Amino acid sequence: MLQNLSYSKTAQQSLVLAALGIGLVLLGLLSITIGAFPIPFGHAVSILLSQLGIDSGTFTEQEANVLWQIRLPRILLAILVGGGLGVSGAALQGLFRNPLVEPGLIGVSSGGALFAVIYIVFGSSFPWLGRIFGSFSLPLVAFIGGLINVMLVYKMANQGGKTDISLLILAGVALTALSGALIGLAIFYADEAALRNFTFWSLGDVGGANWDKVKIAFILIFFPSLLIIKQFRNLNALAIGENEAFHMGVDVQRVKYIVLFMSALVVGVGVSMTGTIGFVGLIVPHLLRLSFGADHRLVLPGAFLLGAFLLNGADLLARTVVMPAELPIGIITAILGSPFFIWLILHVKKLNS
Amino acid sequence: MLDAQHIQYYIGNRPIVNRASIQVLPGELTAILGPNGAGKSTLFRLLSGELPCKQGRITYNGQPIKGMKTRKLASLRAVMPQHSTLTFPFQAKEVVSLGLMYSRPKYPKTIVKEVMSATQTWHLKDQLYGNLSGGEKQRVQLARVLAQIWEIKATPRYLLLDEPTSSMDIAQQHHIMQIIGQLKQRNIGILAILHDLNLAANYADKALLLKQGRVLHQGAIRAAMTPENLQGVFDYPLSVQSNGPGAPIYISSLPSSATSSTNYTYKLA
Repeated sequence: MLQNLSYSKTAQQSLVLAALGIGLVLLGLLSITIGAFPIPFGHAVSILLSQLGIDSGTFTEQEANVLWQIRLPRILLAILVGGGLGVSGAALQGLFRNPLVEPGLIGVSSGGALFAVIYIVFGSSFPWLGRIFGSFSLPLVAFIGGLINVMLVYKMANQGGKTDISLLILAGVALTALSGALIGLAIFYADEAALRNFTFWSLGDVGGANWDKVKIAFILIFFPSLLIIKQFRNLNALAIGENEAFHMGVDVQRVKYIVLFMSALVVGVGVSMTGTIGFVGLIVPHLLRLSFGADHRLVLPGAFLLGAFLLNGADLLARTVVMPAELPIGIITAILGSPFFIWLILHVKKLNS
Repeated sequence: MLDAQHIQYYIGNRPIVNRASIQVLPGELTAILGPNGAGKSTLFRLLSGELPCKQGRITYNGQPIKGMKTRKLASLRAVMPQHSTLTFPFQAKEVVSLGLMYSRPKYPKTIVKEVMSATQTWHLKDQLYGNLSGGEKQRVQLARVLAQIWEIKATPRYLLLDEPTSSMDIAQQHHIMQIIGQLKQRNIGILAILHDLNLAANYADKALLLKQGRVLHQGAIRAAMTPENLQGVFDYPLSVQSNGPGAPIYISSLPSSATSSTNYTYKLA
């Protein structure tokens, strides 16, 4: 009768998460086989099993190379970046107590992008960065950009524990515009080599995936996402209000810093690898709340899985509709996301009650 | 004991709470009364730990609130603010069970059922909080707050309520005051800002009359709520009637025209 009250996940919540996980795995298997170079499903499974040392069928070496060097890292990167965007969107919405918040809309992504561009263009002036952090330097620099913007937006929009949504959106618009202008300025000063790097990065998509990126994303996106998911109870309390959360024993300041810091990390690293991808963080938590309720115990891990699913689906579309060419993945998510955002703006009053 | 000694709070140079000293004993309901702008809410927020108390000293069971861990404080006192709005679609029972988030009791389900039954919200448990009426929302919030300190313990705990009955009808007001009264047996001390003088007079054990940030009178209800004291605090003539100790107290006020010597006659149309 009272299943929802214990501190373990309820049967329904576990079921939803399991279904999302299975859906993600199936979509992943499907994506492995589809593309400009189709790989029969049986062969794909054999290739994966042969990596585990199980010999279970035949495949060509070309198929193995495409799957192992191109498609699998790409799918894994889409899972990590999409999952990160989903979970940080859900957590930021919970923290700001507003369903309109999204990393792209409040300037986190553009801050990350700006710092990524600055590093790409002027990075050669700071050779010590690369010496210390190696291939982690670009993602870390992007994280700092995202962190600066998310802190600024939070300071501007938060007054006396309440987030003013118009201030929030306006601050996000202003910071995004400023970051865009500064990106333009940085490119203006770029030399030819830097420009080539930049073009390569800006067309990055998940198509530029390789095992190096997957490893970095796993460390800098997956683990911070877990730390965010651990905040589910505190974010539930925050939904009643900051003061009320404090009365119930939540260290509100600490939760804020964890969520802002980890979200900036997850989004910044994602941006540094795939460019700006909008709307995943907006749609995903919302779909979950609409279907299964607002309990962050489900919404946070669910947002990771559904975000991963959505970005993988979008990537599958992006590389199949105009085959053998590819659409930038951001186009797909924006086409799906913008009408949804408009719908949300029109209904936000009702949803808030 | 919840004990506040000489606490002060200034906004700019204006004292909002001016050298107030308060004691709330477990097993007692203390009512804070006073006109608008008397500093009731600020005092309330200082006592709950929401506002840092820079001058004076507040202790819960002898332990100073300053430097106390948020979680420790939450195990000693629960707070119900006047208004709480929810952003996301939570069910009523999810809201109530949030009150247990850090106490980790042995039987959380039993507690949730008990507090929701006590506040007559059990039948609303599966409804979305946003779809409830004002009075229902307030009862759900009260249930959440009660859940935080419902378990019977040896340590005295405290409940701070900011106008707990403000959106309720008469029957609900009395019902809630009775529930609050029953908490006294659970070794809980209650401090409530009350607007309704009659509710205060008939349910509270002690009264604290506040005006311009100062505690003007403090003490047992019948000693504190005299017509002279009340008139001094509210700047309005009030009459207090009772047929002896133990009998109900009636506090009434009349339109100022009726208390003046002028006589009005009304013509019937």
